[in-house]
Amino acid sequence: MNHIALKMLMGDKSKYIGIVMGLTFASLIMTQQPAIFLGLMTRTYSFISDVGLPDIWVMDSKVQFVDDIKPLQDTELYRVRGISGVEWAMPMYKGLLKARLTDGRFQTCNVVGLDDATLIGGPPVMLEGKIEDLRRSDSVIVDIDGARDKLGKPSPIPGGKRIPLKVGDSLELNDHRAIVVGIAKVSRTFQSQPVVYTTYSRAKSYAPRERKLLSFILVKAKKGQNLAELTRRIREATGLAAYTQEEFKTLTYEYFMHNTGIPINFGTSVLLGFIVGAAIAGQTFYNFTLGNLLQFGVLKAMGTSNWILLRMILLQAVLVGSIGYGLGVGLTALFGHAMRHSILAFRFPWQLLIFSGAGVSLICVFAAMISIVKVIRLEPAIVFKG
Amino acid sequence: MQIKYTLPLLAVAGFLFAAYTVRNSYQPPPVAKAVTEPASAPFKAFIAGAGIVEAQSRNIDIGTPLPGIIKTVTVKVGDQVKAGAALFYLDDRDTRATLAIKLADLAKAKADVSVAKATFIDAKSLNDLAEAVTDRRAISAEELLRRRNAMLIAKARLESAQALVQQAEASLADTETTLNRLIVRAPIAGEVLQVNIRPGEFAQAGFLNTPLLVLGNLDQLHVRVDIDENDAWRFDKNSKAIAFLRGNRRFKVDLKLAYVEPFVVPKKSLTGDSTERVDTRVLQALYQFDRKQLPIYVGQQMDVFIEAQDYSTSKDSENHQDAQGSSL
Repeated sequence: MNHIALKMLMGDKSKYIGIVMGLTFASLIMTQQPAIFLGLMTRTYSFISDVGLPDIWVMDSKVQFVDDIKPLQDTELYRVRGISGVEWAMPMYKGLLKARLTDGRFQTCNVVGLDDATLIGGPPVMLEGKIEDLRRSDSVIVDIDGARDKLGKPSPIPGGKRIPLKVGDSLELNDHRAIVVGIAKVSRTFQSQPVVYTTYSRAKSYAPRERKLLSFILVKAKKGQNLAELTRRIREATGLAAYTQEEFKTLTYEYFMHNTGIPINFGTSVLLGFIVGAAIAGQTFYNFTLGNLLQFGVLKAMGTSNWILLRMILLQAVLVGSIGYGLGVGLTALFGHAMRHSILAFRFPWQLLIFSGAGVSLICVFAAMISIVKVIRLEPAIVFKG
Repeated sequence: MQIKYTLPLLAVAGFLFAAYTVRNSYQPPPVAKAVTEPASAPFKAFIAGAGIVEAQSRNIDIGTPLPGIIKTVTVKVGDQVKAGAALFYLDDRDTRATLAIKLADLAKAKADVSVAKATFIDAKSLNDLAEAVTDRRAISAEELLRRRNAMLIAKARLESAQALVQQAEASLADTETTLNRLIVRAPIAGEVLQVNIRPGEFAQAGFLNTPLLVLGNLDQLHVRVDIDENDAWRFDKNSKAIAFLRGNRRFKVDLKLAYVEPFVVPKKSLTGDSTERVDTRVLQALYQFDRKQLPIYVGQQMDVFIEAQDYSTSKDSENHQDAQGSSL
């Protein structure tokens, strides 16, 4: 019987390809759009992921997300250090400063100041130089994307490619001299600004005069500490906000979810993909069943039970569904692969495979249902009419 | 049939590629290690503070009593000096010239005394002669009176001349003191930590941002620990304290409390920034430690941990007390 079902399905090539195309398209949209969405959302907290060492981030209680800097007093660092269960606590400066480039252009940079002694919170991957080089005077480390593009020097040929910033080059941060001593690889951030790493005290001298300059306190818990308990203790003792790394990521991510149009935008795309896919695949599948109604009638007249017919239709639906799904996710992966060196945000976790699989299954179930209803209601006598 | 196999195969290939992408697409960034491991407290509950190392005598900014051009600097950085040893000399030509005048004045005054003395002797002998005449008729009363008065005047002149000598001597002593003040001496025995003057430079009297010379007693070092005023209530004078050297946490030293400054001061940021920002007030506790245990210099920063009462338990007992208080 299964053989007959497959013959029936593939017999009409155009309809077969039509159904598969519809499902592929739906699957592609339902995978690729969320992948970009997830990529963007990951970028919102990529800075937190990059600074992997601390367990807990302490900041002003009104901070809404990672780029929302509300500086603290320097002594808060020592108060946090004095809370039991804290292995160490380190200061971090994070802020946007204007860099003046050699050609006179201005570029806003994300300046990160690390604790002078330990340099905790530094870039995860160094391509050139060492993090220790930050101990040299006026030294900074820039990220490779920034060095290549936004901080690059203009090309000698008009319209040519920019000359990347190299180790030993200098730039001006807020009228202070800064020497590049290293190039780092960091995850792209949401705003894609160049990232400049330096020491905490130097960052303070680069930053405009303010009474408070401490952006974050990075805390490592003692071994065996319950993080939830420790964050509660920090909150109670200092009145500041303390989040575990995951909580801080969620906070940042939630901010973008609630305060930007990004989720609605991508949600609409996914929904449209689903609806259009369902409409095309459903309608084509239904048409195909209608076209084969005569065959089903004959089978029914020959005494085939409804159950077997139902299984035949389900087999057909599962087959086209799987093919469409496989092609769709394959194309998405290909898209992601092609774009891996571009600035496009793309993130493909396994949950997304399940998500789009569920979406395609839903479309198939919907398409199969309307066909099944038609076949079950079919009178075998129809074969002999006309 | 071609299409019968192509599409399913393509689909399987697509799914496998997607699965491969899922596996490989996102690797969490590696964690950047700390360049040096930060110090962590060896206590369960503690107060953390930034400490700055200073000499036991505190660091003495040597000043000059008189402004002037520096003639010679007799010490260099690192010299051990005794109390009272000369540190630097100011230009004294002017004062020495005055001294010569004063000496001449003294000599003149002394000569004047001799003259006055001679005059007095002369007047006295004339008077004595007249006094010695027993026959009152041999000498007129007027003559006698004149001679006696001349003797009295000469005596007064002698006393005045002697007073002038005293005056000249005092004046000389004054100049000598001035001369002495042009030599700046060490107030205590100690080590020269900093020399900011060179011969020929002008030394200003009064408070200076850059001290002329810094002196300190380094036999025992003190570390001045800033404790945030919000944590001050947890501070216990008898609890243990440990200081860690910045940059290498293997260097640590047990501290002994020297004294606590009972006056809470605005915190000066110890970050070394040229413009110090005051952001809170701090209690300053001074601890002493054995210098030989650490390769440390005066002015260096340390991370200090002071053992304290466990915050959470003390808080509970507080609540308990509150409850009792309200029931009473």
